[in-house]
Amino acid sequence: MSEQSDFRRELIAIIPNLRAFAASLSGSFDRADDLVQETLVKAWDKQHTFQPGTNMKAWLFTILRNEFYTQMRKKGREVQDVDGIHAMQLAGHPEQQGHLDLQDFRKALEMLPDDQREALILIGASGFSYEEAAEICKCAVGTIKSRVSRARTRIAEILKIEGDGDYGPDSISSQIIGVAPAA
Amino acid sequence: MDDRETKDDMLQTTHAQRSQAGAPDLGANTAIGKRLKAYYDDVASEPVPDRFLALLDALDKAESASKTSDRE
Repeated sequence: MSEQSDFRRELIAIIPNLRAFAASLSGSFDRADDLVQETLVKAWDKQHTFQPGTNMKAWLFTILRNEFYTQMRKKGREVQDVDGIHAMQLAGHPEQQGHLDLQDFRKALEMLPDDQREALILIGASGFSYEEAAEICKCAVGTIKSRVSRARTRIAEILKIEGDGDYGPDSISSQIIGVAPAA
Repeated sequence: MDDRETKDDMLQTTHAQRSQAGAPDLGANTAIGKRLKAYYDDVASEPVPDRFLALLDALDKAESASKTSDRE
């Protein structure tokens, strides 16, 4: 019984990460929460297959990602094909009003191919190692590395960030300020 | 979580060795790394919605109910 509630407690602790990952995959907060719901139901049904002590976060991300791509195949990618709709939906998030810089970044992310965006998120935001991300995406570690690298280069091009990391924080923030008025 | 900190440390190191490693740099102090985190945390910092807690309660109840009926 206590093993049961440990599972539940750990599951709940990972939900905020699942929502953020789902939002980045689907581009919609409503769809993100539907995906998280499906993931929780699946995880609950499969909890006997989870080995305590292993990485539950990676396990849940794998389930969520599979669910997302299964739904995408069924729907024939109708949502993804409508240009700009993601950025619009996400810009409508109340927390986001007024964060111009973040909205620019969001739009830039939406312009990336799905595989590059997810690699960038898993490595740069969710905190997974390249090895974990490779396992989640069922591809080689080198593939994840090159996707992240291409994603980063493309984002820098879109946002016109040059020499990222070569300057101190002051230069970086002045670059960010320089980018913001474009919106 | 410790994993994330280790990750950041690793990325910082990668950053320092970037010219030789050629690895992508997403450390928290870079323009892209910082925005990526802000983008993600915008959702990840929200409290867990009640609908998910209610869902887990319902799954829990359904499971104990089926276990009880199995035993009978």
